[in-house]
Amino acid sequence: MAKPVTHPPGGHDQPRVATPLVELKNIWKVFAGVPVLKGINLNLMPGEIHALLGGNGSGKSTTMKILSGVYIPERGDIFLGGERQVFHSPNEAHKNGIYMVPQEPHIFPHLSVEENLTLGLSMDAGEARERISRLAQEIGFESSLSTEAGSLSIANQQLLEIIRGLLRKAQILILDEPTSALTFREVENLFKRMRTLSQRGIGIFFISHRLNEVMAISQRVSVLREGHIVLSAPTSEVNSGMLVQAMLPEDADVREVEKRARDAKGHATGEVVLDVQHLSSDAFQDVSFQVRAGEVVGLAGLVGAGRTEVAEAVVGLDPNARGGVVIKGREAKKHDSRKRQSLGLVYVPEDRHAHGIFLELPSLYTMTATILDRLGRYLLSHKLEEGVGDSYRQQLSIKMNSLYQIAKTLSGGNQQKVVLSKALASKPDVIILDEPTRGVDASARQDVYQLIQRLAEAGVGILLISSELEEIVDLSDRILVMYQGRIIQETERTDVSLQQIMAAAFGLQGEASL
Amino acid sequence: MNRIWRSRELLVFLLLIALLLAVGLINPNFWQTRSLMHILNSSLILILVSIGEMFVILTRGIDVSVGAILGLSAVILGVALNAGMALPLAVFLALTVSVLAGMVNAVGVTFLRVPPIIMTLGTLGVYRGLMLIITGGSWIETIPTNIKFFANWHIMGVRFFIWVTLIIVIITSLVLRKFKRARYLYAVGDNEEGARLMDIPVRKTLFAAYTLAGLFAGIAAVIFVAQIGFVPMQAGNGQELRAIAADVLGGVNLAGGVGTPLSALVGAIFLTAVDSALVFLKVPGYWNNAVGGAILLAAVYLDYRVRRAVAAQQRQARAAVRHENNQLNTPSSKEQT
Repeated sequence: MAKPVTHPPGGHDQPRVATPLVELKNIWKVFAGVPVLKGINLNLMPGEIHALLGGNGSGKSTTMKILSGVYIPERGDIFLGGERQVFHSPNEAHKNGIYMVPQEPHIFPHLSVEENLTLGLSMDAGEARERISRLAQEIGFESSLSTEAGSLSIANQQLLEIIRGLLRKAQILILDEPTSALTFREVENLFKRMRTLSQRGIGIFFISHRLNEVMAISQRVSVLREGHIVLSAPTSEVNSGMLVQAMLPEDADVREVEKRARDAKGHATGEVVLDVQHLSSDAFQDVSFQVRAGEVVGLAGLVGAGRTEVAEAVVGLDPNARGGVVIKGREAKKHDSRKRQSLGLVYVPEDRHAHGIFLELPSLYTMTATILDRLGRYLLSHKLEEGVGDSYRQQLSIKMNSLYQIAKTLSGGNQQKVVLSKALASKPDVIILDEPTRGVDASARQDVYQLIQRLAEAGVGILLISSELEEIVDLSDRILVMYQGRIIQETERTDVSLQQIMAAAFGLQGEASL
Repeated sequence: MNRIWRSRELLVFLLLIALLLAVGLINPNFWQTRSLMHILNSSLILILVSIGEMFVILTRGIDVSVGAILGLSAVILGVALNAGMALPLAVFLALTVSVLAGMVNAVGVTFLRVPPIIMTLGTLGVYRGLMLIITGGSWIETIPTNIKFFANWHIMGVRFFIWVTLIIVIITSLVLRKFKRARYLYAVGDNEEGARLMDIPVRKTLFAAYTLAGLFAGIAAVIFVAQIGFVPMQAGNGQELRAIAADVLGGVNLAGGVGTPLSALVGAIFLTAVDSALVFLKVPGYWNNAVGGAILLAAVYLDYRVRRAVAAQQRQARAAVRHENNQLNTPSSKEQT
């Protein structure tokens, strides 16, 4: 399949002659020296529903935050109705008719609906009430104005936000993944309302991870990848397969990664060390999988698909989880992470600053935190502790001045290695690694990859959670893909296809080949 | 759950009646109008300090210096009167000092971004220190009697300061209900990030809250001097903790955004009634602190449990949505779209 052509900004595929409500021209944004937006061109016509698609970290949220005044771009211009504008704050964007409805509505839960709507509004109370009731009727908002906002459903909280925007005369609405917490019926109602607004000439940017929704509601779709717009076309001219294709790296790269995966020598795998059976909780349902000794199992999917929640439930951190977890043939019944660790299961969490490391303390204290009971009979033996520290420092080539260097003064990669030392110190049989290379520099990243390989060769079972497709394909013997709380695809290394994994992550199981 | 929040003042009020009835059964003297009026009269200072504290707690902050501000303003008032200053002028001076003291907290919290507990813990020490520096550590006695007159002045059989306090409660209640800007106090405490996005002046609102807390402690100081007639160095000691207890008891949510002056009123009267009840039950005075502390613990724990229950309810509701969603949105039902 040929790659869809990237349309130049202001191309001639737009039949209408009206001026765009807003035009973003050559927008650049850099975070900590790393460019995340590399010349974004995007526009929105009156009454247009414009869908934005892209994997995690592709830049869609950053682009929308620039449009709504949360971030200021390093380079590039925003034209509103043909006039150049710079927004320094969300308020300035509001005043110019741009309103963003965030994924989690920013309501005041203890205030009433009416108070939520009129707060900070410079408008006569009578006039405000009249306009609210008109808007509420138009958009089909049925809750009483005196209800406490916190008691509304998420769908109605979103409507509240939308009305709040319209009350401020918004012409451009940005809906950031509005459907992720809605029921099927609520989604349909939301779409009906979006169409009503579109007929009134209001332009809507719609961010979603669900391709079927994008196909159903939008008139135009733009795909972002690594800070570029890689595809922008009328929705009627594309299909889901093309959108998935656009989100993948260049064809040649895809082929090379896939070839590497097929040619790689698989790990010799032994008995099942982790057996998860029909695990369910708030964020996921009926998850079952096995990890064998010496096997690397990749868990792919988008942020929010429920991967981290599964990991937390498996290690015993979620008291609401139901289902079976068997570690080396022994069933772990209680939700007790210490117990499961003693059975041989350790977890290296995604957010190491929050959950994995003692930032203000000497690095050694993190490395030995879970094995203190083994370091000396009654009192702590510093000799034993330093011995353990030194051995991991060498094994993982951790760069530090001394074992006692304060952890927060280490680089991201070395911090991650300290966290890994802690995990390894308890001599586990299964390790769950959640995004182990996030925020880690390139050389340390290679060290982490090598470590994963070495551990697998030594017979440790590994569950690798990662949002980076290439990383997961390169390292895993088997790949599971999660979508909205379920495992919807399982692939062996030998017949891996990036396109299928991407399609599954976006909920297109079996449809991708269409 | 929300209904319980709304009627929390009523709940405490009913508890108060129950307490009065129970104590009255044991010692009928307790039921006399005179002793009930006495309870009300002795709770005035706590009521005012609690309302001031409420403004701060509404914004999700805390102010532990209000007791010290009370003491400092009382010292200023006493010294001014003893120096022969006219009564109205001396009162004005004391109130000005209390407002300034509140503003110092406000500057620390809003502009220097010191966490409220640290800022006010610091000024607690500073203001108590100032009291000692100004007086040299000795009590202020022999205050001219003209101020004490107001403490015993009855209007229609009710003491003047009870009228004053009730009027203040009514005015603040009306202001909080009717004024647009007053609503900002609730909004900032309820969802500070949201308030910022809604163009609400968060800093000004916080500033106002701490300043008002100072002012109300100052008003309480005036009543304190009038009622007692001298200023000991312990004036206002521990009032901040009693005020926080009274607020929480009356339904002010420590997580911000919920509470009314009525909460402060009912909570403060309840705590004072407990003290009086202990006297009528012939329990030695040493017990007051222990019982007060136990009630505070019970109130905070209740507050915590209710909040957790509400959070759990919301979490479950969301999970239910997601489950339903997944059942309807499985690949087999996709043809519908």
